Amino acid sequence: MSEQTGIRRTLETIGVALLAIFLGLLASSIFVIIAGSNPVDAYQRLFCEGFGAKGCQTFGDLLIQTVVDEDTGESQAVFSLFYGEGGHKLALILERATPLILTALSATVAFKAGMFSIGMDGQFVLGALAAAFLGYWLPNQIYAIAGITDPELAPEGLKTIMHILMPAACLGAAMIVGAFYSWIAGFLKVKLNINVLISTIILNAIAVQFVGYMVNYPLRSDMNNIARTARIDDTAWLIPFNRGLFANADIEWFSGSRLGVGFIIAVIAAILVWYFLYRTTKGYEQRMVNGSPLFARFSGIPSSRAMLRAMLISGALSGIAGAIEVIGVERRIVDGFAGAGSGFDGVLVAILARESIFGILFVAPFFAGLEQGAINFQFGNLPRQLGNIIIAFIILFNSMEYFLRNRIAAIWRKRHVLSSPAAPAPTEASS
Amino acid sequence: MTNAVEMRGIRKYFASTDTLAVDGVDLAVAPGEVHALVGENGAGKTTLMSILYGMVSPDEGEILINGKQASIKHPNDAIRSGIGMVHQHFKLVPSFTVAENIMLGVERNTAGFVNARAESNDVRILADAFGLAVDPDQKIEDLPVGMQQRVEILKTLQREAQILILDEPTAVLTPQEVNELYTVIRRLADSGRAVILITHKLLEVKAAADQVTIMRRGKRVGTYPAANLTINEMANQMVGRTVLLEVEKQPAKPGEPVISAKNLLVAATGGVPAVFGVSFEVRSGEILGIAGVSGNGQTELVDAIAGLRPVESGEIHFLNQPITHSSVRERRSAGMAHIPEDRMETGLNLKTTLDENVISTSYHRPPFSRGWRFQFDEVRSFTQRVIDAFQIKSASVSGSVRTLSGGNLQKIVLGRELNGHPKFIIANQPTRGLDVGSIEFVHKTLIAERDAGAAILLVSVELEEIMSLSDRIAVMYEGRITGILDGETASEQEIAILMAGGHLPDSVPMGSPS
Repeated sequence: MSEQTGIRRTLETIGVALLAIFLGLLASSIFVIIAGSNPVDAYQRLFCEGFGAKGCQTFGDLLIQTVVDEDTGESQAVFSLFYGEGGHKLALILERATPLILTALSATVAFKAGMFSIGMDGQFVLGALAAAFLGYWLPNQIYAIAGITDPELAPEGLKTIMHILMPAACLGAAMIVGAFYSWIAGFLKVKLNINVLISTIILNAIAVQFVGYMVNYPLRSDMNNIARTARIDDTAWLIPFNRGLFANADIEWFSGSRLGVGFIIAVIAAILVWYFLYRTTKGYEQRMVNGSPLFARFSGIPSSRAMLRAMLISGALSGIAGAIEVIGVERRIVDGFAGAGSGFDGVLVAILARESIFGILFVAPFFAGLEQGAINFQFGNLPRQLGNIIIAFIILFNSMEYFLRNRIAAIWRKRHVLSSPAAPAPTEASS
Repeated sequence: MTNAVEMRGIRKYFASTDTLAVDGVDLAVAPGEVHALVGENGAGKTTLMSILYGMVSPDEGEILINGKQASIKHPNDAIRSGIGMVHQHFKLVPSFTVAENIMLGVERNTAGFVNARAESNDVRILADAFGLAVDPDQKIEDLPVGMQQRVEILKTLQREAQILILDEPTAVLTPQEVNELYTVIRRLADSGRAVILITHKLLEVKAAADQVTIMRRGKRVGTYPAANLTINEMANQMVGRTVLLEVEKQPAKPGEPVISAKNLLVAATGGVPAVFGVSFEVRSGEILGIAGVSGNGQTELVDAIAGLRPVESGEIHFLNQPITHSSVRERRSAGMAHIPEDRMETGLNLKTTLDENVISTSYHRPPFSRGWRFQFDEVRSFTQRVIDAFQIKSASVSGSVRTLSGGNLQKIVLGRELNGHPKFIIANQPTRGLDVGSIEFVHKTLIAERDAGAAILLVSVELEEIMSLSDRIAVMYEGRITGILDGETASEQEIAILMAGGHLPDSVPMGSPS
């Protein structure tokens, strides 16, 4: 019942992924050349922005870079990913990967039950809205009931309790909202056989518009140029490592990034999802529905319940992703906020990782780094969209898995046949 | 005389499954000859013919058509070389007429418009020339399967095929239609055409072929005049060991009724009734065979009994309990097992592993799980027991099932369904598409379950299978049971008459158990 069977297969999968990245870069270079730039230089720039340390110039610098200490003037070689002036690339990458991990898990749970839900965007923004609202409203209610006029003066005991309960309430509410919203699509599928892909696209549009309205009107906090909600109370804040947990330790590693508990939640979620899917009977039911609904029905597996359960879990994960983006990173929703899009990017991450849970933990940071690189990217007259073009090509080549695998197998076999005098007997057993 | 087809040293390796499907095979077919190509599943006969028809390109070897080297890279090349193929699954447009189908792609037109009258006329002339009577203006969907096949053959003849490949042509035909097909094949050969018959039914070889080439594991075992080999000799050569073709069984010792159906009315997908008031019962220790040409309500009947399709009216009782509207899981828990018609889509989930397939009906209860948690040791040891007991070759406990052969896949289904000796077994086409060795295994297993006291409902379109396994035989025609015969005394002719909708003078009244 293992997720992957055999080391050879795992190695092949990694081989295919690397090959897909290489081919993706190769194909994208056509556009770089059309724009009149040198692909090698452009990619060095892009990857240095995404993954390299300050002063990164070449592909070599991505791994090990020589830096000069400003005080002593000494130069030393450092691992670029772990080194960063005023904040580490790795911490930043992981911060940006956090919502992607959760939304990719969300997509994977749905896909693995045969539900092609891409409703992550809608569930994400609704989860964010729930967290933004509760994170502001609930603490204020509590202060009002307790008769505290200035939150600064609240008793330490109450604050400590609220520091635990408020984030939990925000996350819980976002989970429920996301799960319910996802369940709608599941219900429509199970009862009326409405295509999940289509219903989730529509539900996404509704949710995004609804959140836009809420941010612009009922929940708008001030007359700032760009509409935004009120900042959540400090007690609802999932404080980043550099401000909270490790504030006094002065670990340079976290400085400048908002990496925090959210990332740990995402990793724990990945482990739980894996355990659920591969180690429990309920997860088994969901996976069996996938690919062969007839088989599930024939075996007596409660298919509808399994599909609805998958949609609930999927929605809850996206809801959490939205909540973490608000209470862990942005602390409010700004109209058209940066986190939007994490939903669909999660779908792409899930596809790139081929629905492998552990694959997601590697692909999401790669994806985040590439995106981050593209945002900071400035090279010649190349547009920032180069990052998206590359990602699109990588997904395209990655989906040619069957073809690439066959190529690899054919090359391997050709060697094998040449080196061994007799061709091996046919392996297909007929009995 | 030059051979119509000569294939020399053909070799084909499939990298995706790491299989050497065809390994240095030679094949020569003379004009006017009916050449049967036989072998187990995976023996390479279909691959060899796909190479001849240009659907698969060989790694090595050459093809000569009428003594001349031919390069066949696409079915269009094959058609130009005078090769025609009738596939197992017909490639016809159901809503088009016979003439429209035959002329598809080579339409007769007048000023750019299809000239339907000219097409009809052409087809009539063609059909008359070969003595293959068809009505050119009838729609394909209104024709019986045997006629549809005839249209396929005419289509190849319209394209002036001199070499015809027929892939498992009798799989879907009634006994009468089979006999008519043999006549057609002989007529085609007499007109100087070469006919290649892909089959794994050895009776067919004896009845229709002049020459037979036997393949095993991608290699040619030998080519013989069909008259010189007995069926047993052919079977042994195909499998590579001695095969028991006759099923050995003791007379049944039927006990109490296990399952009974009364006046079942079941609708097909789309709401049209497919089963009209069918009644029967099966007792423990007996096999009730349901014979009939496929599409006469068997699928719907089986689905209704298995709980996969709602019953409109009527009752089903299992061990004296009403189960007419019970869920699949309730039925299975009560001791019902089901070997489905389609093992690739329904019987197994090919996307997953062997252990996940063998526990799909029992994963939710001890010993395989407690609450939500799996007991993996139990799952593994059970899977290993199934692999050992059913001799599933080249399989591992948590290995993918996708790469296993049809026979091994069916063994997985058997291993799961027969676990714990169910009281009632539905076996729907349990040997469809299996090779001789696997058929033998499935038959022996079913007989053993019967002798252990199971009631078995066997549905099959293979008359031979029904006759050799069943203790009683019910024949279905157009959604009704037209007669129930004693398995010992029923003759092939009697069953054939009932299968075609005829009546026996002294047949048992409709629907009542004998």
